[in-house]
Amino acid sequence: MNKSAETSEKKGAVLPIKTSIQDSIKDLLKNGIDHCVFDAVMIPLRVPAGDSFSYVLIKNKSLLNDAFPLPPTMSVQGAKAVSSVTRLGNRNMKIAAVMRPCEIRATIELTKLDQTDLENIILISMDCPGTMPILDMVNEPEKTMTLFNDATKSWDDTQMRPVCQICDKSSMVAGDLHIGTLGTDKKSFFIIPNSTKGKDILEKLKLPLTDSIDSWNKKVKENSEKKLKKRQEVHSDLKNKIGDLTNLLDIFSQCINCHNCMRVCPICSCRLCYFDSNKVKHSSEEYLQRAKDKGSIRILPDTTLFHMGRMMHMSLSCVSCGSCEDACPMSIPVAQIFSMVADETQRLFDYVAGRCLEEPLPLRTYKEDELHEVEDVHG
Amino acid sequence: MANALKITKNTEESVREFLKILLEKRKVKGVFTLKKIGKNGAVTYSLITKSDELNDAVPFYPLMPTNAGKLLSRITRNGSTTEPVAVIVKPCELRAFIELVKREQGHFENLYIISSTCGGVYPLKTATDGTIEKNLSDYWDAVKKGEINQDLRPACTACTEFTPYGADITVDLIGNTELEKKCFLLLNTKKGEELVQDMKGELVDRDFDKEKLKKFYAKREKAKNQFFNENTKINGLDDLIKIFGRCIGCHGCSKVCPICYCTLCMFDSSNLEYKPSKYESEVRQRGGLKIPPGTIYYHLGRLTHVGISCVGCGSCEDVCPVNIPLTLIFKKVGESMQQIFEYIPGKNITEKIPLVTYNEEEYTEIEG
Repeated sequence: MNKSAETSEKKGAVLPIKTSIQDSIKDLLKNGIDHCVFDAVMIPLRVPAGDSFSYVLIKNKSLLNDAFPLPPTMSVQGAKAVSSVTRLGNRNMKIAAVMRPCEIRATIELTKLDQTDLENIILISMDCPGTMPILDMVNEPEKTMTLFNDATKSWDDTQMRPVCQICDKSSMVAGDLHIGTLGTDKKSFFIIPNSTKGKDILEKLKLPLTDSIDSWNKKVKENSEKKLKKRQEVHSDLKNKIGDLTNLLDIFSQCINCHNCMRVCPICSCRLCYFDSNKVKHSSEEYLQRAKDKGSIRILPDTTLFHMGRMMHMSLSCVSCGSCEDACPMSIPVAQIFSMVADETQRLFDYVAGRCLEEPLPLRTYKEDELHEVEDVHG
Repeated sequence: MANALKITKNTEESVREFLKILLEKRKVKGVFTLKKIGKNGAVTYSLITKSDELNDAVPFYPLMPTNAGKLLSRITRNGSTTEPVAVIVKPCELRAFIELVKREQGHFENLYIISSTCGGVYPLKTATDGTIEKNLSDYWDAVKKGEINQDLRPACTACTEFTPYGADITVDLIGNTELEKKCFLLLNTKKGEELVQDMKGELVDRDFDKEKLKKFYAKREKAKNQFFNENTKINGLDDLIKIFGRCIGCHGCSKVCPICYCTLCMFDSSNLEYKPSKYESEVRQRGGLKIPPGTIYYHLGRLTHVGISCVGCGSCEDVCPVNIPLTLIFKKVGESMQQIFEYIPGKNITEKIPLVTYNEEEYTEIEG
């Protein structure tokens, strides 16, 4: 696998769109089950009340009719779903997991952190126009479906979550197969393999790699360049806004310590977070002493420390999926802040979270000859 | 005998001043109350030791960033405070704390409890979009008149337990038409009386305006019945799937619940991590399986665990990222469990939790 946002693959298979792209993808998946390329599919289904989506592991092909390969909202980050099925191993069942690119990237990070077993998993991604806020679907399901449908055609991201509007990796190919809808004639779509596993599947399904994917690559590049520019602008604004301790304390002052952001974060996989452990539970004397030292402390104290600590722990693997912000009851722009810091920490190590399975986690590698500029600072 | 302190001044100001004097005269070494912090004036619970810091205190602000019962438990879990602390909390927060003390998750000694009749709190999102500040004058108008403010947390509009149990001092808010001019601190205990000694103000003989509170109770009770009747629609597994289908499994409801105090929730433990063979057989049998599984199991499990002590504070619903009507379900089921045992959670510290008491002669009808 390569390190660039574009895939090294120059050719892809082309499939016609019959009724809709979603239906054609479902046909492809059914075909996969028929040909025993995989035994089950993990894919979002609309919940019975119609107000959300949920990942469902499907063996019964007819259930696939109700699947939404690309739903408007992200209820559970797909990486968490893959981890819940495969954390203790996955011996006999070959599963095709259909997810957004950021969900696949998080899955790859979790694999590096030993929280998933990809042995029998086939990761299938597709070009992502963004994700709408989770509450839009709860409040106005049908309107949200329509708006999202329109957005997938026009590639207009104004209805999407703020962190999706600045996502320059919305077509990043990191899994085994990628479905490309950009740069096509709208009557067909690309299937692009990104691993031997992916190539094998296309071979078994008799889908030859006949067509050049230059047009897709070109469109993706154009798209991500545009988004990257916007991302940098937004991050630079944000940095001005929160770039010192007072502002930082202020932005997190509304935080109520529910830790929803941590609970939904695909990377936060610790069974017991340090910030929920006995380490942060103090005696009454300590609370009083701290209050006396400062005149007043908030209860619970160390709210900003929690966010900074979480940032230190996971920012090298942050895929900017936006789940944290979606789950924050106090509307704190957590995902935007974390994506800004993640970009910087990852750049320092020339690392992109979830880009490639073979790329080791920066904090688990040691090179004698690196980061001299940091040494100099402390010279 | 005099049983109240009358201060002829705005109620919130009087209480703020009262707290300052407590600190200055060293009657207490700390004050636990709501306070505005930072540039944007976020309201959070704070532990205050310097009287100047009380200038930003807003003891009766209609917001519950976290149920204070949970926070008091955090402070006193490993033992009572070594020095006296005055705490200003809402009635349901006090009830939650009492439930936690019964579970050995907190200590009462050395705390002076100040509470009030409570008009309810606004949803958390009103604090982030600024609407709460705009609503404040409406809120206090409704409190003075003894009316229900419709924009409150659903849990609050349907709350009939608006008078605190077991407070040393109760501040008379509901139906007090002269809130801006007069403050009444009702002294319920010896500790309360000790606290107001040397305070400016007049010791008077006064109790709640019982007639007004009765009327207010009737309004709340009517609202509660309406609220609960909506719930009759939830019946059976299909309806539970409809209600909980959108749950994203963040378990935020458990994290903020004052009664959920387990260090490791059963539903976060390895007990609920299934082996690959389990997934395989389930999928084979059913054709499809929600991932992660166990959503309804989690909510029903939590309901069983906390229902008997649920104080109906509404924190769970307020932090739910997908607006599941948790208050409705937990409050209604909780109260019906509590009725069976004639138990009001947090009413009386000496009353044992029903599930840890055994009476040989009870529930014979169930045996039958």
